[in-house]
Amino acid sequence: MELQGLSTDQAPPLSVPIRFFTTAPLFGIIAGFIIFFTDSSILMNRYSVESIVITHLLTIGFLGFIMLGSLTQMLPVLAGAKIPKPQSISMTSYTLLIVGSLSMVFGLLNDNDTLTTIAFLGLGSGFLLILTSIMLGIKTVKHFNATVKGMAISVGFAFSIVVMGMYMLYGYMSNDISSAHFIIANIHSVWAIFGFAGILIISVSFQVLPMFYVAPKFKPFCKNRVVYIISTGLMLWLFFNIYFDEYAFLAKIWLALFFLAFATTVWIKFNKRKRPVSDVTVWYWRSASVFLMLGVFLWITDEYFKHEYIVMVAILIGGGFILSVMIGMLYKIIPFLVWFHLNAMGYMSIPTTVEMIDKKLSKIQFLLFLVSLIGFIFSFYYSEFLKPSALFFIISMIILEYNIIQPIWFYIQKKKTKPDFDMSMFK
Amino acid sequence: MATIKEYLTTDHRKCDELFASMEHKASQSLSDAKEMVKEFVYETDRHFQLEERVMFEEFEQKTGMTQGPTQMMRHEHSQMRALMKDLLDAIDKNNNDKFFGTSETLMILMQQHNMKEEQMLYPMAEQHLSAQSDRIVEMMDSLVVE
Repeated sequence: MELQGLSTDQAPPLSVPIRFFTTAPLFGIIAGFIIFFTDSSILMNRYSVESIVITHLLTIGFLGFIMLGSLTQMLPVLAGAKIPKPQSISMTSYTLLIVGSLSMVFGLLNDNDTLTTIAFLGLGSGFLLILTSIMLGIKTVKHFNATVKGMAISVGFAFSIVVMGMYMLYGYMSNDISSAHFIIANIHSVWAIFGFAGILIISVSFQVLPMFYVAPKFKPFCKNRVVYIISTGLMLWLFFNIYFDEYAFLAKIWLALFFLAFATTVWIKFNKRKRPVSDVTVWYWRSASVFLMLGVFLWITDEYFKHEYIVMVAILIGGGFILSVMIGMLYKIIPFLVWFHLNAMGYMSIPTTVEMIDKKLSKIQFLLFLVSLIGFIFSFYYSEFLKPSALFFIISMIILEYNIIQPIWFYIQKKKTKPDFDMSMFK
Repeated sequence: MATIKEYLTTDHRKCDELFASMEHKASQSLSDAKEMVKEFVYETDRHFQLEERVMFEEFEQKTGMTQGPTQMMRHEHSQMRALMKDLLDAIDKNNNDKFFGTSETLMILMQQHNMKEEQMLYPMAEQHLSAQSDRIVEMMDSLVVE
């Protein structure tokens, strides 16, 4: 009989997810500075070193860190997964991933093989360590639901993209970029966006939208089938991409249809939600839904433009959809975790989750982020838009960091005081 | 007759509906929402009592686990009761920010609590109490709220 997950003791210490969450915006700030100092024509090429570096600062540093932090938190609490040694594994992989990501950035930008080798080792071991422990945690789950199944599949895709990423980094290390490199790069990016991030967001939304917004539940077809259909689409796309490139378009339409359906569903669910309360996280979900629709549509039509707009697709889907959802999640999760942990320790006179983050500042942060994304898109036509957009992006990331540190700072200060109740009897 | 899981899950949804209507009313006028807040608090507390005084008792008796999941659920009930008291205080003081701050915290706590019960505790209860299911549901149905 399994009892795990019902006790707060099963939740990882607050430091485990928070470590990942608070580091994410710092990577965003670095990415913003690199965009600021790079010429827009270089960024138009997806394979330029600068584009690769910026993409990975955002995908590994920002999105990856938030997703890993969320997985280590959500799996034990909502599914009763027992992640082995969460504290030491998360600390080790966190350090390896930081060293690996920064080495990748500076190694690729300066063509420094030593740093690229460190990146290869750091990112490879860091990702494999935490992904393996998450997988082992998932193996202990007794009552599988759609969210946990989706998480397991997305972690499977994460393994594949890490291995492909290591192969490509090895190419840079050994200065041997093979002809397979570009095919693998394409698979790596499509699987990362739709396989890892896309499936994870879809499966987490099955729980999060009804839970945080009292939105209508997803239909059994969505919960039980969609993740498998998308995974099949990704496999088909891989197969066509390697052997019958002319048919890869069909698999793209397959994927696009389901992501468009998801984007529409999110929009409708927010319209039908029973809670009238609207906050910045609702704005983030709504903008994510619009950006996803635009991004997927452009991804399909881009076929006719010989992939001229692929960087714009990345901004729309990577920035507009995935980043928006992640930031929205941070604003919801961090205050709740702080409240939950303090309350469980016996601190009763604490602010509510809404009072922990300045509402006005979070709205300013959202608007700056939105303006920066729109600015990046228009930079394709008007290159003078790039620098101000990069500046808006940097400021939005600084405000985000400030906003999410507020509840954590409160937690640290509060913990130094005596709790209102002695909770040791519950241990 | 409904199973224990079905009965209590339906009751969760009822509380969710009341919560949403209460918040909706409060977003129009805080003072006008007082009766709905009271109704939500009453029904939610009644639900806690169904569990604490009937289902948990039976579960603990059958499994011998008194310090396990039911203990943690009781603890979360007490956290939610404290927040519901804050909701009523906020209404009395006509404090809009406090009301919606508390309702947001209560909602997240309530939803993740429900999820744990529906996905883990209720299936466990069904597994152990299936033979007495009808009797337990009847007892819950006829419980007099204290």
